[in-house]
Amino acid sequence: MLEVTNLSKRFGGLVAVANVDLSVRQGEIRGIIGPNGSGKSTLFNLISSVYKPEPGSRIAFDGEDITGRPPHDIARRGIARTFQLLRIFTQMSVLENLLIGHHSHVRYGVGAAVVGAARVWAEERRLKQEMMDLLGFVGLADYAEMAAGELSIGQRRLLALGRAMAMRPKLLMLDEPAAGLSPVNVDKLLNTVMALQKRFGLTLVIIEHILKVVMESCDTVTVLDHGEKIAEGPPAAIKDDHRVIEAYLGKEMADAEVRAFLKAS
Amino acid sequence: MNGPGTNGAAERAPEGWRDLSRFIPWLLGFCVLLVLPWLAVNPYQNYLLNVILINVILAVGLNIVKGFAGQVTVGHIALAAIGAYTSAILSVKFGLPFWLALPAATLVTGLAGALVGIPAFRLEGAYLALATLGLAESVRIFISATDYVGASIGFSDIPPPMLAGKPLGSHIAYYYVVMPVALVGIYLSFCILRSDIGRAFKALREDSLAAAAAGINVRKYKLLAFVISAFYAGCAGSLTAHMSPGFLNPNSYTITEMVTLLLMVVLGGIGHIWGGVIGAVLVTIINDLTVDFYQYRLAIFGMIIVLTVLYMPRGIGGVIDRHFATKRFIALRKAKASVNA
Repeated sequence: MLEVTNLSKRFGGLVAVANVDLSVRQGEIRGIIGPNGSGKSTLFNLISSVYKPEPGSRIAFDGEDITGRPPHDIARRGIARTFQLLRIFTQMSVLENLLIGHHSHVRYGVGAAVVGAARVWAEERRLKQEMMDLLGFVGLADYAEMAAGELSIGQRRLLALGRAMAMRPKLLMLDEPAAGLSPVNVDKLLNTVMALQKRFGLTLVIIEHILKVVMESCDTVTVLDHGEKIAEGPPAAIKDDHRVIEAYLGKEMADAEVRAFLKAS
Repeated sequence: MNGPGTNGAAERAPEGWRDLSRFIPWLLGFCVLLVLPWLAVNPYQNYLLNVILINVILAVGLNIVKGFAGQVTVGHIALAAIGAYTSAILSVKFGLPFWLALPAATLVTGLAGALVGIPAFRLEGAYLALATLGLAESVRIFISATDYVGASIGFSDIPPPMLAGKPLGSHIAYYYVVMPVALVGIYLSFCILRSDIGRAFKALREDSLAAAAAGINVRKYKLLAFVISAFYAGCAGSLTAHMSPGFLNPNSYTITEMVTLLLMVVLGGIGHIWGGVIGAVLVTIINDLTVDFYQYRLAIFGMIIVLTVLYMPRGIGGVIDRHFATKRFIALRKAKASVNA
């Protein structure tokens, strides 16, 4: 479904992403892990076209080349993403945030909206109803009219997820969806994500530092370090991969020590 | 409960009623505005009423691009100038009647608005303000240096609109041209801003990157905001041109006038439709009352802008909104408390 080949990005002298290949199947849940600064978020920014990749990179979605297409076009094709720092619209209401996400599916044009045609009002009512249902699904229905800036951090994460879901995506990319949440809330969020994935048959790509999330829910895990892909495979295999352990814990620890450390934790 | 058939009918009836009922306040407002000029005690007040309404159109337009889409433009006054001069040229040099010159000038200004909007693709905030200021000043200087449009002396003898062979030259007659246009303008801005387009504008203002990631075509909506607001400016400009005594001067389109316009939007409430209207009414009246101190006007207005931004960042409209939101919140609390008790 998503085919990334030879993807690179340089910021001046810094190579943020180097020749990464990534292939995500339809319906797969893919985890992306790696130490801080390993290029995970840059990878997302490249796929969603926030950054322009270096020449020679290719990103294909559903068999079509989408390299360098404008971000709104990528979104329209069915790739939704959340941001690490959420970037929800804090001055707009919770419901409006979702309606913005649903923008591509609004069925009236500028002309009808300008003259305030009756079908615009009917469509608005339909949209609101649909978004209220979705809000109920992520558990924020009671807060619909509240300004998004007044939500707690956990609710904001749910809202960011809801806004991405409002786009009716085929591929959903979550950038550290559970960062900064208490363990209870991590479970809650994870359950919501998995319920959504099942219900809508989503393909998921998740960047996450909380290993429990990655180990329990991902089919395949890709590991990045210094912008390069150093490992890929099922979570169980990744856990024991020598290079992965090295990337996270450094070279100084001997293998035996690492094993002991991992067992203890 | 109801069967599916009755349920559907029951739902449809109030919806149709709701669609109609949203026109009622507008009709009431129209009726009030119909009698308003007869309350004026002298022709000058009638003139002032027309100026207020024209400024309302300008402010509502500026509020779309600045208040809702968050694009800091100082070129709005130049768009009004373009509208005014286009309308004047069309009616004086080409003999077009007012009723054709007005829409033509509005369209031309819309195109000019697209040109003003293009820098906004790359510039933001103060940089965009500087770029649009440059454009605005060059329009004014171009006008004051072009003999074809009367240069700095001014463009005179612009005919008033004709209706059934009679000129609508008096201010009270002209009021009935300006007032419906202003009311329709406010209504249309409501339609635009309460729809998905208005939401897209607000999303641009808050975070254009997140908006793009949600599928909003940032360039298209920025341009749309500029063009729609330019339509308002062009319409207001044309209405100024044909108002008696039918005289235009490039000096009515300086940075001072732009600051006055900004004050209307800032004082009234950035991103608040009625706020913009209230701001336009208030500032025009203040402007008229302080005519004797006109050399200090920029200082006074600048000070009001600074004070508003510091102590009332969302303007008068924001204060009104907050008042009602607090009232609703208290009512909700009380209702909950009574349920618990």
